[in-house]
Amino acid sequence: MQNQKVRKLYTIQSGLKKMNKPKVGIYGLTGCAGCQLSIIFNEDEILDLISLIDLRAFPFIKEKNYDEEFDLVFMEGLVASANDLEVLKKVRSKTKILVALGACAHTGCIPAYRKWTLKENYEHLLYKKDDIIKDEDPSPIENHVKVDFTIPGCPPDKHEILTFIKDVLKGKTPKTYNNPVCVECRRNNNDCLLIVGKPCMGPITAGGCHSICINGGFECWGCRGPSGDANYDAWIEILREQGHDDEFIKTRMKIFAGLKMEEDAFKILK
Amino acid sequence: MDEFFYQIQKTDLSKFLNNIIQKNELYAPIKTDAIRFEKIESPEKIYLDTNADFPLKEFFFRDREKLFSFDKNKIKVEIEKPSKTRVFFGVRRCDLNAVKHQDFIFMEKHKDPYYSAQREDAILIGYHCKTAPSKYCFCGSMDLGDHYDLMFWEDESHYFVHVGTKKGENLINSSKELFSKTNIKLNEEHKKIDFTNRLKKKDISKLQDNPDWKKGVDKCISCAACTTLCPTCYCHEIKDEVTLSDLQKGERLREWSSCQLKSFTKVAGNHVFRENREERFKHRIYHQLQYFKERYNIEMCVGCGRCITHCPTEIDFVEIINEMKEK
Repeated sequence: MQNQKVRKLYTIQSGLKKMNKPKVGIYGLTGCAGCQLSIIFNEDEILDLISLIDLRAFPFIKEKNYDEEFDLVFMEGLVASANDLEVLKKVRSKTKILVALGACAHTGCIPAYRKWTLKENYEHLLYKKDDIIKDEDPSPIENHVKVDFTIPGCPPDKHEILTFIKDVLKGKTPKTYNNPVCVECRRNNNDCLLIVGKPCMGPITAGGCHSICINGGFECWGCRGPSGDANYDAWIEILREQGHDDEFIKTRMKIFAGLKMEEDAFKILK
Repeated sequence: MDEFFYQIQKTDLSKFLNNIIQKNELYAPIKTDAIRFEKIESPEKIYLDTNADFPLKEFFFRDREKLFSFDKNKIKVEIEKPSKTRVFFGVRRCDLNAVKHQDFIFMEKHKDPYYSAQREDAILIGYHCKTAPSKYCFCGSMDLGDHYDLMFWEDESHYFVHVGTKKGENLINSSKELFSKTNIKLNEEHKKIDFTNRLKKKDISKLQDNPDWKKGVDKCISCAACTTLCPTCYCHEIKDEVTLSDLQKGERLREWSSCQLKSFTKVAGNHVFRENREERFKHRIYHQLQYFKERYNIEMCVGCGRCITHCPTEIDFVEIINEMKEK
């Protein structure tokens, strides 16, 4: 059995103080803005939410944004350009609790896939002309700054975002869901897609998503990153028995959480 | 109860079930992508060729149960009851015993009002296996009893029916014209199910350190399919959910949990009691076969084999135990 490392998804341990109208900022780096949308998708709760927080910056939907100290910042996206890094460092220096919101911020997600392709394959697609965007190695935000909490997922579950905010407001230590996707999946009475022969990543992926993909008959692609104690050896063996070659398995892992899984899992693959 | 069988023509079964549907809700195994107990409106779709993939557990010990709502220091308990009597048809001997074990935990050992509310009025109609429906069945190795309101045995042209309780007798009486009394008595031969004595009973208390456990542990992906699909596992966690409009208002919920998860034994201060997979893997099996028996004098496991059939890596703990050599 491989040596399991304890993965910490948060550094908020205890001593969190109850917050009254915290100053909140919601920012995006390289990403599709879908995670920021997940916050807004709480249509029925949004008015209550606005009365409980002081939303100081949300450039995605707000015209007027205040550039100042924050109690709480949700940061979407990964670091893929020099500008991303600059914004991230600046915001971090002014923020008490920094939350990585969504898969790009957490794992690097799809935009980080280019790490495994040759630069000459995509170089011509970069904005070379006026040099405004300077390319950086794609990486999750925790590689550059301290992240206090992570809300994973592509996109994150909108209720999970609210639960986190409620916990912060109450001064309660937020809980990270670290069990594999299978736990909720079986509870939802789904037939196991691995047994059916599909290359489902459920057993090695952290749940909390209510197994939404598998409920719809679609296998898990690992968007919430590795679960608390993924047994990669056993999972890879299942996929090999299904007839998938190591190249396929590796590619599948790279798509949503490659940067988080490569260290422990890729050494098992040829 | 009377030890003589009733009998009913096979062609009359749907009449009997339709009579049940008139006044009650009928649940029976239905096959789609998997076999599940579902509420049915007509008996034609019932699937009895093999056991259901999912046990009855969720109908009585619900996977997510509201315990009470709270508002500051005030709590309000509202216990939901099913609106109609629920009749379950086609329940196998293993699953009937599993319900009995859960009744023991939630109704005898502890008085759990939530479980009782779901369970009390329910009527269980069994369907007896002739031979093991799955190659992983091992109910014949376990100590099972007769726990049913009615039990059906299939024969060529008719079913033999045995009455287990007053509730069951009432059901027969309400369709009296379909049933006739026989002079055949229920005996031990009827209760035998072929190819189910797979587990060789041995004292596993001395085998805690046996290296053979590793055969299972290395393949375990800690997905908790075994405990979730187990008809007897009852472990759960409790959590609060507050409303956003008033953070002092909310609900306390009970949700299924699993000893196979690291988070299950995590306590304040981030200490985890069963940190590694081997301890968790063994704990489930020892609880099922040893600890529960030591405490309550019955084995918890009923030998339905779901924890093996539905394990993505097909860890057959029965085989592992059978092959273990006692020192």
